[in-house]
Amino acid sequence: MKKRLAATLAGIMAAAVCASPALAEGVTINVTTTYAGEDSNAQNFKDSVAAWEEESGNKVEDSSATSDESFKSRIITDFEAGSEPDVLFFFNGVDANQFVEQGKVVSIDEIREEYPDYASNMKDDMLGASPADGVNYSVPVNGYWEGMFVNKEVLEEAGVEVPGNETTWDEFLEMCGKIKDAGYTPIAASLQEIPHYWFEYAIYNFQSAATHNTMPESVDDEYGQAWVDGLNDIKALYEAGYFPENTLTATDAETFQLFTSDKAAFLIDGSWKIGGIAEAVDDIENYTVTHVPGKGDRKTTDEIGGLSMGYYITRKAWDDDEKRDAAVSFVSFMTSDDVVSKFAGVSATALKEGASPDVSEFNSLQNDALAYTASFTGISPAVQDNLSAAAREPIFADMASIVNGDVDAADAVAAVLEANAE
Amino acid sequence: MGAQIYKNKKLIWIFLLPAFLFMFVYLYYPFVRNILNSFMHIKYMGTAGGEWNSPWYKNYLALLSDPKMKIALKNTAITIAATIIGQVGIALILALLVSNIKRGSGFFRTVFFFPIVISATALGLLFNLIFLYDKGMINQFLQFAGILNREANELIDWKAKHAMFTMLTPVIWQYVGFYFVILLTGLAGIPDDLYESATIDGATRWQSVRYITLPLLRNSIGTCVILAVTGALKVFDLPWTMFVNGMSNTWLTGTYMYSKVYSDVDYASAIAVVIVVIGVMLSAAVNRIFRQNVDYQA
Repeated sequence: MKKRLAATLAGIMAAAVCASPALAEGVTINVTTTYAGEDSNAQNFKDSVAAWEEESGNKVEDSSATSDESFKSRIITDFEAGSEPDVLFFFNGVDANQFVEQGKVVSIDEIREEYPDYASNMKDDMLGASPADGVNYSVPVNGYWEGMFVNKEVLEEAGVEVPGNETTWDEFLEMCGKIKDAGYTPIAASLQEIPHYWFEYAIYNFQSAATHNTMPESVDDEYGQAWVDGLNDIKALYEAGYFPENTLTATDAETFQLFTSDKAAFLIDGSWKIGGIAEAVDDIENYTVTHVPGKGDRKTTDEIGGLSMGYYITRKAWDDDEKRDAAVSFVSFMTSDDVVSKFAGVSATALKEGASPDVSEFNSLQNDALAYTASFTGISPAVQDNLSAAAREPIFADMASIVNGDVDAADAVAAVLEANAE
Repeated sequence: MGAQIYKNKKLIWIFLLPAFLFMFVYLYYPFVRNILNSFMHIKYMGTAGGEWNSPWYKNYLALLSDPKMKIALKNTAITIAATIIGQVGIALILALLVSNIKRGSGFFRTVFFFPIVISATALGLLFNLIFLYDKGMINQFLQFAGILNREANELIDWKAKHAMFTMLTPVIWQYVGFYFVILLTGLAGIPDDLYESATIDGATRWQSVRYITLPLLRNSIGTCVILAVTGALKVFDLPWTMFVNGMSNTWLTGTYMYSKVYSDVDYASAIAVVIVVIGVMLSAAVNRIFRQNVDYQA
């Protein structure tokens, strides 16, 4: 009796297995990018993923997140834990050294052995070779620049003109004073969370476009001294009360809100922020972008920018016969001329043919950004991209201690250089 | 048949083995490995230690002169005191009050226990909004009450000026209910006859609490204090959500260890060892303080 019952159950189970629908066709790949949150291309990314899924019949598991130190840490941890994505859009500087050195991503040359057309629409010398071994691993999409966004209404209320191509640092300080006296916050920045942009420009003001990306050998050499002077300038701005009252405890989102709710005048951020601003405000015409006022050898029109990120295919996906094609197809799609042109907007690309964005759909801030980029006299990559996560800590995690005087700027720079040398 | 099972000791070992293996692989091996890691140089998280540090106790030497570790230890000591007084103390008062009411005790049990079921991250976000600088609940209330000047938009940066208070308030609030339930269960175990006898002998309500309840509750209180002390040593989630990266010098041993994991793995391992050592020492001390009452109930 029992045997008969068991046989009947086994038969039912076998029939159920045979009758169940076949597995859906297509491959699912895990993808992580920084196209999320307030990134201008967050929606473009979603649209492009949907288009690729429809075209290829494959699926994307998207775990994109806003680019910050936590995101970088998460990616590194994922690689270490063996749970890295199949494709990732990540920095091509020192941040990627760890998984590059461990052979966990595939070089473009290796991919081209099987897929000769891979990234063939890109200029090879602009792909962004890894500082670890000088080999190209990632395919860039759009470049970036860092500029100073301006809330025109706040400036008008304070009786201040929008800073221009010739505005000097001293004039900028005067403007900040007037804005503060008028009851507004001159600079929207969270020194606690995102001091990165101010660090970059503050030290740039003691260098030039030609020297900015040079790593100091020691705190006493001219580059090291420029870093110390730059940090002391940030300290001076803090002591003058030009940052938000709670800049040492506020999040970036909180200070951004000050800017978009007409309480703060200036915001240094990246080209990717244009979309975030457009989404957060009712009247985009109230906002524009201009150069961060300079001093010394740095002209006001010398900017920070470059191609610092790109699509990587991980070794894990490459070694998976099922996922290899899908990963290559996905990156090829996302770095095609059409998609890159759509993402590029007002930033540079590595396309051989150049980008062709549809300017007729640009808002006033994007148009201002086009004029802004046309006035660049020099451009330098962000020097912080040469620093490891551990090396960044004494400055970026400890900016509060530097500006409130608990830590001397020279000691912080020395700690950075020491950590970077390890 | 039932007795036969216990005669065959092999079966017991077979049933114990999976749990033992699980504990070995996921707790004891990592624990020992972590101690070794604290003496080695580890370049990246997840990679094996390559070589011994020079000197091998380098990280522990660095800990002695690390100003952030000093801040973390000081703040953790404050947190321990705050949790013992705030969590266990408030829980004890609430438990005594609730145990003395006839109706509605079930309601209060649920109300006080409820914060525990909310995730620490959600609570952190909630309290971030409560203590928010601009448009935060407390600042708006203080402006409404006229304590802060609304016209001049006077605001208090709670996270800067009252950082420890701001951080510890939700930490204490969240776990009061947990200790409340433990103590209430302990109170339920005290026989009513004792109180009745005391009342007949003319004892006041306070005397009953002082000479009957508290002595008989001593073991439960001891358990709560050990849990509070060890919990305070490793508290992480809520403080990290509200005070990321030790903002305003609010480092705790748990948050400082985590912050170091990504930049200096072996140093973080050394901090973890220190946390365990302090935890064991404090637990032993608390045990010793409360042990003298072990035979009291017998």
